[in-house]
Amino acid sequence: MQASYDIAIIGAGSAGMSAAITAANAGASVVVLDDKPRAGGQIYRNVSASPLADVKALGADYLAGVDLVTEFNLCAAERHYQCLVWHVGDDGEVLFSQQGQTQSLHAREIIVSTGAMERPFPIPGWHLPGVMTAGSAQVMLKSDGVACDDAVFVGTGPLLYLIVAQYVRLGVRVKALVDTTPKSQYLSAMQHSLGVLAAPAMLLKGLSLLSEIRQADLKVYRFAEQLQVVGEDAARALRFRCGDHQVDIPTEQIFLHQGVIPNLNMTRALGLEHKWSAQQLCWQPVLDQWGQSSISNISVAGDGSGIVGAQGAACMGRLAALNLLSRLGVIDVEQRDQQSRADLAELSRLNHFRRFIDQLYRPMDAHRIPQQQDTLVCRCEEQTVAQLRAGFEKGATGPNELKGLTRCGMGPCQGRQCGHTVSELLADWRQQPVSDIGYYRLRSPQRLLTLTELSRFNRLQPAQQTVEEEAS
Amino acid sequence: MFRSLAKVADRTVQLEIEGQQVSAPVGATLWATMALHGLTRTRTASVSGQQRSAYCAMGVCFECLVEVDGMPNRQACLTQVVEGMVVKRQQITEQSHWPVEAIDNSDDPSLNALAVEVR
Repeated sequence: MQASYDIAIIGAGSAGMSAAITAANAGASVVVLDDKPRAGGQIYRNVSASPLADVKALGADYLAGVDLVTEFNLCAAERHYQCLVWHVGDDGEVLFSQQGQTQSLHAREIIVSTGAMERPFPIPGWHLPGVMTAGSAQVMLKSDGVACDDAVFVGTGPLLYLIVAQYVRLGVRVKALVDTTPKSQYLSAMQHSLGVLAAPAMLLKGLSLLSEIRQADLKVYRFAEQLQVVGEDAARALRFRCGDHQVDIPTEQIFLHQGVIPNLNMTRALGLEHKWSAQQLCWQPVLDQWGQSSISNISVAGDGSGIVGAQGAACMGRLAALNLLSRLGVIDVEQRDQQSRADLAELSRLNHFRRFIDQLYRPMDAHRIPQQQDTLVCRCEEQTVAQLRAGFEKGATGPNELKGLTRCGMGPCQGRQCGHTVSELLADWRQQPVSDIGYYRLRSPQRLLTLTELSRFNRLQPAQQTVEEEAS
Repeated sequence: MFRSLAKVADRTVQLEIEGQQVSAPVGATLWATMALHGLTRTRTASVSGQQRSAYCAMGVCFECLVEVDGMPNRQACLTQVVEGMVVKRQQITEQSHWPVEAIDNSDDPSLNALAVEVR
């Protein structure tokens, strides 16, 4: 019989690294797969090997990742990078592509820690060259030290302000920050002010970012609405309304952002039960407090479970690992409960603060549920609001029927960029809750795969003794 | 305009993007290299044939698909540059035909067997 790993972890971000450290230090055989060249995930991307001359400009929260990455690199977990995981089965089988080869492995327990992606921002012209996400600006900075002068940053949420502040510190010229946070949300967020008191340090960090931006030499527009990217074959300007005025800002580079959502493809393809979160306006896998899903050997930790942030993700990673250690018989339930107290308390504190953030930076309905007929919803198959509406009127009332009729969600991104929009559009058209609408049914492979990769097959087995072997 | 704030690289590689010879640090991301050289067009939209460019830079939008060494559908944002790499815009649309010749020319016999099955 071929050997299994005790635990396979998909994604070496804050959650995956924390889970691996906890599990490997306790003696479990752990394998970690990540699609990037090194550990860190999106938040701590390249923190151990930044190409930037002035890496301090990215801030203390980023540099805090150095310790976690170092500890992860020293732990006994097997680490594999540039792995595109394209299948995870409920039987514990994992298939992935690495350097043109297909690799397979088996694990008794799996932690999916594939993190978040930015929420799609379907406004007119968002598909044009020159329009990217604010997260992409940060990715380029962290991985290659590449920045873009004279860009316009648009939207709402902490990540948007963070990248603008980072650009300012690095001396990159920012043409404008167009903030879409509605005035009303500053008031409605106050109902969660107790959550702010639970994490005053987080609030101070946020306020200092905003004051840094205010003092910088850049134009800030607030309460912007009716966004539109102007241009035929590429972005030429950003158009929006500010109060009674229409504003046009000529620019060739626009960075959009309205928060992040779980990257669902793996948890959906696994067939895990999901629920619609009205607080975070996204689908989330249904999990217990340990991150265990509706399939008992599959756990989910970090932003892939719902947005918890880097600190919360680390807590979740440790909690998931402790639970699996007890399932594997390495520790007993009392030990698990005792060792998890601090993380459970920290997570609850962070979640209180999260409610405040989610309310304050709640993306506007108009930016999630596009009403302009020619706005692209599915970028891959180029399906507009009007085309989807026509499909709906022909009787395609669910995401899968609409996919079958219009091809939305059928392109290479496999619905990553249109899935949430389609769920919410259908809910709007049917005047029903999103939870009744559902999401695309996804299947493996979850990545683009060549026949060559499929024809070169290799089995990966643990180098280290597993818990099972030790017991026998 | 994209520009680099990176430290001077110790080692570089040479590659070709859209017929242009460019130099990039070892380990650089292909998309970032394209952006730095103003070569930001990636795939052709499969229905309208319009030019597209990268959107997310982290592997989830699939807009940065390019042809690398003759192989289409490579995500430039998840690809590291390699000495001698040849990169082209991806021109595949609904009107394109399956490039069977490209597969037949492979020197990998197992791949040819698969290509025959696909046909």
